[in-house]
Amino acid sequence: MPPLPIDLQGVFLNIPYDEEFRSLYTAYIVGLCYLGFVPHIAAEIPGGTRRLDRILKLIKSCRFSIHDLSRVELSVPPHSTPRFNMPLELGMTITWADLNPGRHAFLVFESEPYRIQRSASDLNGTDACIHHGTAEGVLSELRSAFWRADAPTVPQMMGAHRFLEKSMESILERNGTRNLFAQGVFQDLCRLSTRMSELLRRAAGY
Amino acid sequence: MPKSVHITTPWPTSEEVAKRFRIPKRRQKELDAMAREYVKQLQAEEKARGTNLKENEKQKDASAAD
Repeated sequence: MPPLPIDLQGVFLNIPYDEEFRSLYTAYIVGLCYLGFVPHIAAEIPGGTRRLDRILKLIKSCRFSIHDLSRVELSVPPHSTPRFNMPLELGMTITWADLNPGRHAFLVFESEPYRIQRSASDLNGTDACIHHGTAEGVLSELRSAFWRADAPTVPQMMGAHRFLEKSMESILERNGTRNLFAQGVFQDLCRLSTRMSELLRRAAGY
Repeated sequence: MPKSVHITTPWPTSEEVAKRFRIPKRRQKELDAMAREYVKQLQAEEKARGTNLKENEKQKDASAAD
């Protein structure tokens, strides 16, 4: 059977889906769109199949993936539980990348330096990108990780991030949801960021 | 993966992104309007910064002449 085609511009985002992650979520979207990628999250695929199958399918179709392990703490009481989803998806990705060298590459993001050596010591030797829990940190690390000669500056991307944050209410309202990670909201954010980047590049003459 | 990858793939267009996500034409137009508003805002800010710079230079020149 021929291998599935890879989306060279596709980046699978393995991030926590919670309101407190909002600023970093929009930073990942702006940063990736401004660097010439199309982000993907598990929520964008319609239901029907098992969630894990959908995730694996997305990982397999994307050239890159980003795994943010910055929220490894316990969830809110009374049912405090460690969050295993992100490490689980990272584990699947590592296996996929190892079995298919050249088809997939992954990056690990964290907010605190050296914490990954304690939370997932088997990852020792993997250089994590440290964003310090800020949108600027995410953008700066993305820009360093995905280097391109004509990349926008971090302040340019921060400007776009602020605009997206300001536009969030109307995007949520338009989609009739309060869920930032709803399929329509995510797709609107990606389409808007790509268009903003496109117009700015056109205005700059490249 | 190395910590930095040199990216040479072409920039995806907003039409391609809309096609991949199957975003309806009407919504695309609304999003385009928002993007244009952002670019206008940026251009206005840049213009204002340019005007401020010129004003500052004028003030500096005037105080140097004094």
